Amino acid sequence: MTVFEWVRFLAGAALLLSGLAIFLIEMIGVFRFKYVLNRMHAAAMGDTLGIGLCFLGLIVMWGFCFTSLKLFLVIAFLWFSSPVSSHLIARLEVTTNEDQKKHFDIEALDEKLPESGGKEEL
Amino acid sequence: MGKGMESLDKAYGILLIGILIVLAVFVVLCLIRAVIGPRIADRILAANMMGTMVSVMIAILAFLLGEGYLVDICMIYAMISFLAVIVLTKVYMGVYAEKKQRDETLTDGQDVSENSRLGQESPGEEELQYDRV
Repeated sequence: MTVFEWVRFLAGAALLLSGLAIFLIEMIGVFRFKYVLNRMHAAAMGDTLGIGLCFLGLIVMWGFCFTSLKLFLVIAFLWFSSPVSSHLIARLEVTTNEDQKKHFDIEALDEKLPESGGKEEL
Repeated sequence: MGKGMESLDKAYGILLIGILIVLAVFVVLCLIRAVIGPRIADRILAANMMGTMVSVMIAILAFLLGEGYLVDICMIYAMISFLAVIVLTKVYMGVYAEKKQRDETLTDGQDVSENSRLGQESPGEEELQYDRV
C-alpha cells in the first residue's frame, strides 16, 4: 500500500513539475519576444498545456472523486475560453495599432478572391 | 509503515510548497510584464496569465489543506478572469473608437462642430459603432 502511495506521489509530482516547466517556458517566451502578437503564442501555451498538466497531476494525487471531476471541469473550461480570449486580444491589437506596416501585414479577404487578386498580380 | 507514511507526508509538503513559491515568483514576473508592457494588449495578456497561475495556486492550496470545496473557488476564478479579458478588450476598443471619432471631427473643420454636437445628441449612432468594433 505504501509503495502504491509512493508511485502515485511520483507520478503526480512528475506531472506537476512538467506543468511548472511549461510555465517557465511561457515566462521566458513572454519576456524574450518583441511584440504582443508573438508573445500571445507563449501565453496561450501556458493557458492550456501548463494548467492542464498541473491539474492532471493534482487529479492523480487526489484520486478519483468529485473534486477531481471539478478539476477536470476547470481544464475543459480553459480549453474553450483560452482561444476566445486570445482572439479578442489579437483583434484589440489589430484594431488599435496605429502603424501596422511596422509589425504585421493584413491581407483583406477581397484580395484573395480570384477576380480581383488575379488582376493585381498580373 | 507509519514511518513511511510520515515521510510521504513530508515529501508532499516540500513538493507542493516549493511549487507554490515558484508560482508566486512567476506571478510577480507577470506583474512586471504588465507594468512594462508597451501596449494595452500586453497588459491584458499579463492579467490573463496571472489569472491562470493564481488558479493553479488555489488548486494546489486546496490539495495541501485537504479541502475539496476550494476547487470551486478555482473554477470561479478562471471564469472571472476570462470575463475580465472580454470586458477589458471591449472597453478599450470602445474607448479607441470614441477617441478616433472625436479626433476626426476635430480635424475636419469648423462646420463639423455642429455635426459633433449632433453626434452627441444621438447616442444610438455611437452605440452602433461601439458594437461593430
